[in-house]
Amino acid sequence: MIEVAPKDWITAVNGLRVDGFEYFDWLGCVDEIGRRECFRIVLVVRNLAEGAEPRMVSCPLPRTDPRIDSVRGVYAGAAWHEREAAELFGVEFMGGERRRLLLNSEFEGTPLRKDEVLAARTGMDWPGAKEPGETEPSPSRRRMVPPGVPDPAVWGDRAAMQPGADPAEVAESAVGGRVRRRRT
Amino acid sequence: MLCAWLLLDGPHYRGSMRWVDWYGDGSLFVLDVALACCALEFDAASPTPTAPADLDDQAQVAVVVSGTVTDRLAPAVAAIVDGCQQLSGRRPIVISFGACASSGGPYWDSYAVTKGIDQLLAVDAYVPGCPPPPEALSAVLDQITGRVPS
Amino acid sequence: MSSPESAHRWIRLIEPACTSCMICARECPSWCISIASHTQPVESLPAGARDRTLNVLDHFAIDWSRCMYCGICVEECPYDALEWAGEPTQAASTSDALVEEMVQPPS
Repeated sequence: MIEVAPKDWITAVNGLRVDGFEYFDWLGCVDEIGRRECFRIVLVVRNLAEGAEPRMVSCPLPRTDPRIDSVRGVYAGAAWHEREAAELFGVEFMGGERRRLLLNSEFEGTPLRKDEVLAARTGMDWPGAKEPGETEPSPSRRRMVPPGVPDPAVWGDRAAMQPGADPAEVAESAVGGRVRRRRT
Repeated sequence: MLCAWLLLDGPHYRGSMRWVDWYGDGSLFVLDVALACCALEFDAASPTPTAPADLDDQAQVAVVVSGTVTDRLAPAVAAIVDGCQQLSGRRPIVISFGACASSGGPYWDSYAVTKGIDQLLAVDAYVPGCPPPPEALSAVLDQITGRVPS
Repeated sequence: MSSPESAHRWIRLIEPACTSCMICARECPSWCISIASHTQPVESLPAGARDRTLNVLDHFAIDWSRCMYCGICVEECPYDALEWAGEPTQAASTSDALVEEMVQPPS
């Protein structure tokens, strides 16, 4: 995989097309929080004349300001993939289509960001919160938390008592990772 | 006799609907809103589709929602049921087929999924399953039309 | 062992085998298993034995409107208290009626 800086993105993608990679396969976005503070835009194109040989090129964008040139002028099919990445990750594709693709116009949020918490799971009582021999879950400090719901010390009611969690802590906690918070 | 080829002129889409003459005698016409995997079970349960039959005024009309309904698509599903009501002059029987249509199913927690079509429509029968077997649909249609006691 | 025909159609609880360990409720990806239990002292212990308690299952329900019949609960139960039953789950006229309580009320 070739990694390209945002300022070189459109040049690199044009170059791929000129080199014979004329078939647009897909364009996606990966939230690399916890490993690298970036959203990585990934593009796969193919050279059909060479047995559909693929070429993958990616571009890391800062999570705080994810902007990249749209490549829909090079590969028209990229337009829909960019719309999807834009609405689900909050990435801005400059020169791209602004319309939503999959989400309702009223929808707020960027659900595929790893620090975006799945509201339905946090809102509903988890049946597994009870211990064996319990009729109601007791507010125990050691209560289990289900996957998808961050540790209450990191996000949620109890987090209000402590300094705010950064996105990486929320993301790690929601997948079941144990977040050790320093007492400040 | 009403023509069964229905052009729904809703604000978001236009389409033609295909009715299945379920018992082959014009007594029950069923429309499948085929959204996801459950639609395959509907197809397995459904009698061989023939050319669209006319929709008799005496016939019962049922709409089966087969599959996951996303929030984006939900208004279209409601519009289909409204359209059936306008076409047949009466409220159709609404069947929620499978877990997704009944409550959101395994996707209940998704940011994009409607947690059951009963959020938008009155539902006459909920068929559990992921997917339900084809015979579950046949059984519920038999019961709801009074062919077998429920 | 369940036969292929009965698998993935309906799940049955074998109540005497359940210890209210909560594993099925915790593993269920759809959160559709609801369990409540209480502890009770064990009676008729041998003389000199320490007090012991056991879990008594009060409530075990599966919400069939959310169940995806994956069978994780059947696989994970350490006491084989869940098994595939033969018939497909029954349809209902309300979604509340799809929540099936499986604990027999005390006689």
